[in-house]
Amino acid sequence: MQAGLLTTFKSPAKSRGYTAWILSVILFVFYILVYFTPIPDSWANAVGLNGKWQMYGVLYTLAMIIGGYFFLRKHGNSKYHKVRTWSVIFFQIVFAFSIPEIMGLFDSKGFNFAKFWPLGIEYLYPQYIFEYPLLIIVYAFVASLIAVPILTLLYGKRWYCSWMCGCGGLAETAGDSFRHLSDKKVKAWKFEQWSIYTVLFLALLTTALVIINWGLHFENEAGQWVTEFTTFDLIASKIQGTYQFIVVAMLSGVLGVGLYPLMGSRVWCRFFCPLAAIMGLVQKFGRFRITVKDDMCISCGNCSTYCEMGIDVRSYAQNNESFKRASCVGCGMCAHVCPRGVLKLENKWDFKQSSDKSKRPVFDL
Amino acid sequence: MHYVIIGNGVAGINAANRLRNLDDEAEITIISYESKHHFSRTALMYVFCGQLSEQCVEPFERDHYEKMGFKRIHNKVVSLDVLNKKLQLKNGQSLTYDKLLIASGSVPVMFDWKGADLEGVGNFVLWSDLEWLLEKAKTAKKAVVVGGGLIGIETAEILQLAGIQTTFLIRESHYWPVALDENEGTIVCDHMKEHGIDVRLKTEMQEILGDNGKVTGVKTSNGETIDADLVLIAIGVRPQTDWLADSGLNFDDRGGIIVDEQLQTNLENVYAAGDCTSVVWFNDVRRPEQLWYTSRDQGLVAGENLFGLEKNYKRGIFYNSAKFFDIEYTTAGYVNFNFEDEQNWYQKEEGKPYTVRVTYLPDKTVIGFNMLGRRWNHTILVQWIAEKRKLDWVLKHLNEANYDEELMSPFQVSGGIS
Ligand SMILES: Cc1cc2nc3c(=O)[nH]c(=O)nc-3n(C[C@H](O)[C@H](O)[C@H](O)COP(=O)(O)OP(=O)(O)OC[C@H]3O[C@@H](n4cnc5c(N)ncnc54)[C@H](O)[C@@H]3O)c2cc1C
Ligand code: SF4
Repeated sequence: MQAGLLTTFKSPAKSRGYTAWILSVILFVFYILVYFTPIPDSWANAVGLNGKWQMYGVLYTLAMIIGGYFFLRKHGNSKYHKVRTWSVIFFQIVFAFSIPEIMGLFDSKGFNFAKFWPLGIEYLYPQYIFEYPLLIIVYAFVASLIAVPILTLLYGKRWYCSWMCGCGGLAETAGDSFRHLSDKKVKAWKFEQWSIYTVLFLALLTTALVIINWGLHFENEAGQWVTEFTTFDLIASKIQGTYQFIVVAMLSGVLGVGLYPLMGSRVWCRFFCPLAAIMGLVQKFGRFRITVKDDMCISCGNCSTYCEMGIDVRSYAQNNESFKRASCVGCGMCAHVCPRGVLKLENKWDFKQSSDKSKRPVFDL
Repeated sequence: MHYVIIGNGVAGINAANRLRNLDDEAEITIISYESKHHFSRTALMYVFCGQLSEQCVEPFERDHYEKMGFKRIHNKVVSLDVLNKKLQLKNGQSLTYDKLLIASGSVPVMFDWKGADLEGVGNFVLWSDLEWLLEKAKTAKKAVVVGGGLIGIETAEILQLAGIQTTFLIRESHYWPVALDENEGTIVCDHMKEHGIDVRLKTEMQEILGDNGKVTGVKTSNGETIDADLVLIAIGVRPQTDWLADSGLNFDDRGGIIVDEQLQTNLENVYAAGDCTSVVWFNDVRRPEQLWYTSRDQGLVAGENLFGLEKNYKRGIFYNSAKFFDIEYTTAGYVNFNFEDEQNWYQKEEGKPYTVRVTYLPDKTVIGFNMLGRRWNHTILVQWIAEKRKLDWVLKHLNEANYDEELMSPFQVSGGIS
């Protein structure tokens, strides 16, 4: 039988107790070792794997499969959650792990087709992407610049964030037990708006500098590389390196996962991911919204508590306001756990924020 | 103008919020003995099991009172002196008001069973009940829950989850006959049993047994003895108005404060809202309506009338929802009123606790819906009742009111007319 929805977050691991702190420290140390030292290479070799990144891929995929199993034991009675959980696991196993590995066997650089610029910031770095066959180059540009916004207009950012993305996928599976730890306060929302658009700005700036710099080197008529080293070069490569270190390594890896047991599973997605920032802006103009059923909310707070993005869903529900929020990844947990069935995720063009309450129907026998 | 609101529940806080929206200047004081912050009583069960923290069940951030400029008094009012517009507090202080709203909510109903005062007997309505139960649950092994209603089933669910073997005594022949028919009530009972609850139908508690001042078990109307170290009485709530006995207010026979359409009591400048208030129901009966939604709506209207807008409180067509363990429940209109000539269209989905019941009159006018399992948009159901839609039309359009999660298999009409 399906495990009941009712649960408890009292254990120290799930309530920032000592086990949560220990786990957090372990994750921090692990990520720092993987990102910045060769030590994990020797672990990988010891178990017959080809270097630390392959080992990291295996561990990541395993964490998602195991986490997904536990998630579905609890929430698998819902088809929505079943399908999206299988979906993220599928994209991890096939697109993020297997295809790049197989490409490696054919002496090609691996390419993750389920990642887009600017999450994969290098996908628009000419010197990176032009090493691939034409088809992949076209794919990277078309997917990132055209398909992503169109799909987001039609389905909200959930098609990516909670159905395909690896970062989101880990959050939805292995990170599920920590989703309630996200900060719901207005203050956190203010910080989020500041931080996520700052990272987006940095991502745009870095990409632009790298492309311009590449262009400068290419300007020579004969198609010869200009090999002179300029100050611009220095600035561009400094900024590229800084972005790589701060955003890609520290924020998405070390902090993003290391803080799971303390601040919830979507720290990276909520506060820093530049792709989420772009899709969030598009989402505001798209079809996807969360519809609130009038006058049925009992203000219990389950929806807000379960929101991994820290949206105070209840504040909308108790005011009978349907809503679109840039950060919403459409995981659907608010609707799923609401004991009064108040919330519904929908894709519809017409958007009526709230209904006219003075027209409440009456009936006489 | 000094407005005083007694009660920090959903009725009280909504009245205060509305009042503040209407009047930036007003002095607004909220008095409550139960808690400093407004919390959702409906969510007590989630706090008990640890799914929600104390702060999770507070619908507003803690600085709400400062932001809105509400003064708070954390104390109990012991009497109301209408002549001098004065309230006496338990701590000896007193204060005066220009206009008063009483939103003092409910207290649990108790019966004077033998043994009702034993340690280990309690309720699950007030915040103090929650604290008591959390303490008790640390050591309890077996519990008996008495009373086949909503609070009863919620209590049984959380105790069982906490690892306490729970027996649920229900007086009637199926669960919650006020709202569910036999089919539906039986589905819920079976579901409870699957979750490990020992459900005893047609069983009343006769006596609570004890030893050394502590509960050891209960004796039932069947003469049986059930061992227990915890007994939860959930046979209903009544207005918390005992402290107003000498105030000159008019009460109905349940202790609810009688108000007019504008929620004004028989006393000048005194209004009432929420669980403690006796209002006229949609079927012209006068009694308190102890629901979250109605308390909130009454609070909002009371806020407007305190300000002087003269708004009427209109209940509209009845609707409600609940959750029995994992089974969600939606109802709208006149279900289970057992009108002489009413008929019911009923359908259960194979192998699932999903049912749909449509109640209609001989001319096929639909007057009510009772739904288990799936989600339904009550605003549409209520609309159809107001429009006096006929059964055939309603069945054909029923899916438009469906509110299930995306990707769920669609609802299909296959049943017959019963
Ligand atoms: C376990 C449980 C589950 C429930 N679930 C649901 C549900 O699912 N759906 C639903 O519709 N309803 C539900 N209800 C009912 C719902 O909670 C109540 O109808 C609602 O809370 C009433 O709100 P209120 O503002 O009238 O009073 P209350 O919330 O009871 O607030 C009363 C306030 O008055 C104060 N007060 C009282 N007397 C004094 C005094 N003498 N001096 C100072 N302060 C005083 C108290 O401190 C308190 O702040 C549930 C109730 C319980 C107990
Ligand atoms: S979970 Fe549902 S009932 Fe509870 S606060 Fe959220 S919308 Fe309201």
